[in-house]
Parts: sequence; C-alpha cells; structure tokens
Amino acid sequence: MFHRFANPARFSRIAARVLPWSTAATIILFVVGLYFALFASPADYQQGDTVRIMYVHVPSAWIAMGCYTFIALMSAIALIWKHPLADIAARAAAPLGAGFTLIVLITGSLWGKPTWGTWWVWDARLTSVLVLFFLYLGHIALTNAFDNPQRGARAAAVLALVGFVNIPIIKFSVDWWNTLHQPASVTRLDAPAIDPAMLTPLLLMALAFLLYFITMLLVRMRSDLNAARARALRLSAAE
Amino acid sequence: MKRKHRRLMVVLTSLGLLGAAAALVLTAVEDSLVFFYTPSDLAERGTPPDTLFRLGGLVEEGSVRKEGSTTHFRVTDLNQVIPASYTGVLPDLFREGQGVVAEGTLNADGSFIAREVLAKHDETYMPKEVAEALRESGQWRDGATQQ
Amino acid sequence: MIGLGLLIRRELGLALRGGTDAVMAVVFFVLAAVLFPFGVGTDPAMLPRIGGGIIWVVALLAAMLSLERMFASDHEDGSLDLLYLSPVGLGTLALAKAVAHWLTTGVLLLIAAPILALLYNVPANAFGALVASMLLGTPILSLVGGIGAALTLGARRGGVLLALLILPLYIPVLIFGAGAIDGAIAGRPIAPQLMVLGGFLLAALALAPWATAAALRQAIE
Repeated sequence: MFHRFANPARFSRIAARVLPWSTAATIILFVVGLYFALFASPADYQQGDTVRIMYVHVPSAWIAMGCYTFIALMSAIALIWKHPLADIAARAAAPLGAGFTLIVLITGSLWGKPTWGTWWVWDARLTSVLVLFFLYLGHIALTNAFDNPQRGARAAAVLALVGFVNIPIIKFSVDWWNTLHQPASVTRLDAPAIDPAMLTPLLLMALAFLLYFITMLLVRMRSDLNAARARALRLSAAE
Repeated sequence: MKRKHRRLMVVLTSLGLLGAAAALVLTAVEDSLVFFYTPSDLAERGTPPDTLFRLGGLVEEGSVRKEGSTTHFRVTDLNQVIPASYTGVLPDLFREGQGVVAEGTLNADGSFIAREVLAKHDETYMPKEVAEALRESGQWRDGATQQ
Repeated sequence: MIGLGLLIRRELGLALRGGTDAVMAVVFFVLAAVLFPFGVGTDPAMLPRIGGGIIWVVALLAAMLSLERMFASDHEDGSLDLLYLSPVGLGTLALAKAVAHWLTTGVLLLIAAPILALLYNVPANAFGALVASMLLGTPILSLVGGIGAALTLGARRGGVLLALLILPLYIPVLIFGAGAIDGAIAGRPIAPQLMVLGGFLLAALALAPWATAAALRQAIE
C-alpha cells in the first residue's frame, strides 16, 4: 500500500522539477525548428514550397504512432503489475495522441491536394491512420464510460493492447501494398532518401514535437494526480 | 498438474493458430489489397473492358501530347506500356517520368480512358540545385522535366 | 473440451428459449439492406456493383446489434461470477459465447445474404465469393465482438460505446470481404482475399478469447 502512494508522490515532485526545463526547451526548439522549416531550408525539386507541410505532417505522424505504442506499453504494465501510474499515464496520453493523429490527417489532406491532386484516397496508409484515430476516440470514451475510474482505465488498457495490431499495419502498409502514399524516407535500412538540408529541419521539428508531447503528458498526469488527491481529501472530510 | 498441462496445450494451440494465420496472410498480402494495377499486371491477367479500376506507373518520357483539354500520355512500368488519355485539369505534379495513378476503364482497343488522375511522388526529397547537379554529373537518372 | 461443449449447449438453449435477439438481428439485416435501393436509386447497372459492399456493411451492423447482450444477462444475475469461479476458465467461456453468437446470428446472416444478393442483381459468378467470404468473415465478427461486449460490460451508454470500439476493428474484415465479391464480379482471382480472411479468422480464434477473458476479469474484479 505504501509504495502505491509513494510512487505517484515522488513522480509529482520529479515532474515539478522537470516541467520548467522541458517547457523552455520546447519553446526554443519550436522557434529554431520553425525558422529552419519555413525560411532556412530549400524548396523541393518537384514539389516546391509545398514540401514544408512535411515538417509538421511527419513529426505528428511519428508522435501519433509513438504515443499509441507508449499507451500500449503502459497498458501492459497496468494489467500485469497493476501500477497506478501506468493507468494515469495511458489516460493522460490518449487525448494527446488523438490530437496528433487529427493533425496528421488534416495536414496530410492539405498536402495531398496540391501534390497528388486529391484531398483523400482510400489507400492502405490513409485508411489505417484513420482507424488509429478511431481507436484513440474509443480509448478515450471507454476510459470515461464507467462510474469507477479504475474499471475504465483497465478496460481501456485491454482495448489499447488489442488495437496495437494496427501500428505495424500503418508502418508497413506502404511496403506491403502499392499505395498512393510514398514509402518511408527517413526510417529505412539504407541512407535516408532526403537531402541533409531538409532532414535537419525535419529532425528539429520532430524533437520539438516530442518535447511538447512529454511536457503536456507531465502536465496532464500531474493534474490528474492532483484531482485524485482532492477527491480523496473531500471524501475523507465528508466522513 | 492437469491444469498446468491444459494451459500448455491452450498456449501451444494458440501459437499454432497464429503461425498458420501469419503464413496465410503473408502469402496473400501483396495480391489482396491493391490500390492500383501496373501495366504488367494488366498484361498478365487482363481486365474486361468497361470495368472501373486504377492504373499506376510512370508517365513515359516524351509521351505527353495535349489536344485541347484532353491529354494523351503513356503509362509504363519499364516493362509494359499502356496508352491513356484524360480530359480535364491535371495535378501540378503530373510530369513526364513521374509516377501517376489514374482511375478509369479500358477501351475496346486496349487504351485507358482515365476519369481521375492523381500524381504519385516518390520518397526522395532534395533541393532543385542538388537535383540538377546530380543529373548533370550523371549520378542519378530521372526523367523529371526542367521547369 | 467438455466444458466448452456444455457451455455452448447452455448458450444455445438460452437463445432458443428466451431470446428473439438473433431473429431481430436478421430482420434488421434484411430491412437495412432493402433501404439502400430507395436511397440511392435502382439503376440496374449500379446495384450489382455496390450490392456486395452494402451486404457486408449491413452484416457488420446486424452482428453488432446482438453483441450487447452477450455477457450482460450473465453479469446481472451473477452467473458470470459463478462461471469465473468454476474450473472452466474465462477463456473457454469467451470462446463458447463467440461460437454461440455465431451459430445464432452469423449463420442466419449467411443464409439471408444470398437472398439479398438476388435483390441487388449481383451476378451469379459472385455468389460463391459472397458465401465464402461471409463463412470466413462472420465468425471473426463474433470473436472480435466478444471483446467489445466484455469491455463495455456495465458501462454507461454501452450500445453506442460498443459501436465506437468495435466498428474500427471490423474494417479489415469489411475491406477483404467486400473485396472478394468485387474481385469475383470483375473476374479477378479471389483466393488472396479469402486467404487473408482465413488468416484473420485463425488469428482471432487464437487471440480474441484471451482478450475477452482479460476484459471480463476487469469487469468482475
């Protein structure tokens, strides 16, 4: 019982110390990254300036998939070791992941119109990312569907593990099937198929997005813990 | 002991089922979900005229010819070639030597009448100067037309 | 094994005696499919082309209708707790529930589907693909649906929530099921689609009972 209470408390203390730094780093990286992405990087030889959508689209996609993997991992920990922090982390991450997935879908649509000539196609990559968005919505809805928050968290954990099959499908859809979406440029076995002058802003923006995700995750987890403590105090005061 | 044995049986059965499932899906995966067919696919199995499907490949070098609002071009996968035509506004990235995915039907004479043309771009990104330098030094073959 | 057989027989007995759920699902299946020609028109060139897809979409919705009650009555009257404590195990129970759901719903959809295909003038050469894809696909609906039914046990607004959870997971079955019918109409080989569906079925058989059992455990504890 003691470690159950102690761990969240220690987490809150560590989070409070990390947050100012991660917030500052996020802001700096966004400023530098956006400067590189919008001004200090060349236009593409085929797509011209449209390619700059990539600097938002691709990092969001990485975070959207990474976030789901994180939730699945936390869910496994929550189900096997019943660690309360894992439940809280999964609950805090899901709306963030849904937001990033929505950004991927919207920026992808905006990118598809000038390059492909269409807002949307039903190829395997686009469809599987849309399914990811629905999985996030289902996870959020299930978390909040029960009077007992513990029950909601555990049910959502099972759903997150079931839905994890979608992550490899998203990643490899462009290799397994012939899609309109192009294959991976950066995460592939041989050298990236992307010029260093464009890879730099992409990686800077990816780092900025990652730090933003971590910062928001810490904020959400901390407020969730505080709310739980306030609820417990109210209950004990009422008795 | 008996319970333990039964558990082991269940786990082994599940693993066997999963293995069989993976084998089935992986054998069929590439033929099962095609967004478009290549000219070689069509030459291999043919498609009855007047059925709607998507054709994908490269726009052959020097094949684009405009007649009013109708564009004639040839789609190739460097193996087979199919003549195609489209009436309407083409996407910006529709260029000779670049990828294209067109939805439409085959004519009786084997030419493709497109209803919709989408440009497919590859995963290579580079500045224009780099592309030109590579092309001049002959390190990179690409048919992209100069603008 | 004996436990599984007994559980299936219990489910079938309960369904035969009390439930009109299964019959309702089939009535919904036919009714919803009949609505489409009124909505999209009865163009004889179009109906056969969209018929296969519509039959599959409506089959997903119909299979989902009878899912909500899969564990609910056992949960309410306490027999779920007794089964949890009994030596058969929750995984066996999940498998039995899915098999019973398929026998009472999936089989009826399978029988009704060719009749709907006739109404849509689906060409004769696609009937084999329709029946084969439904034969492989509808058990997946029952197995995966069981996970959703267990997850939403005791939830507020369980019905809508069940749809939100389960329909995204049904999309692959829909893609390959409808793809097989389209392929047959266009004269393409349908073996790849059926193989993928078969693979999904085996994977669902291996994994869905575990996931359902895990979800049930969360609901009971």
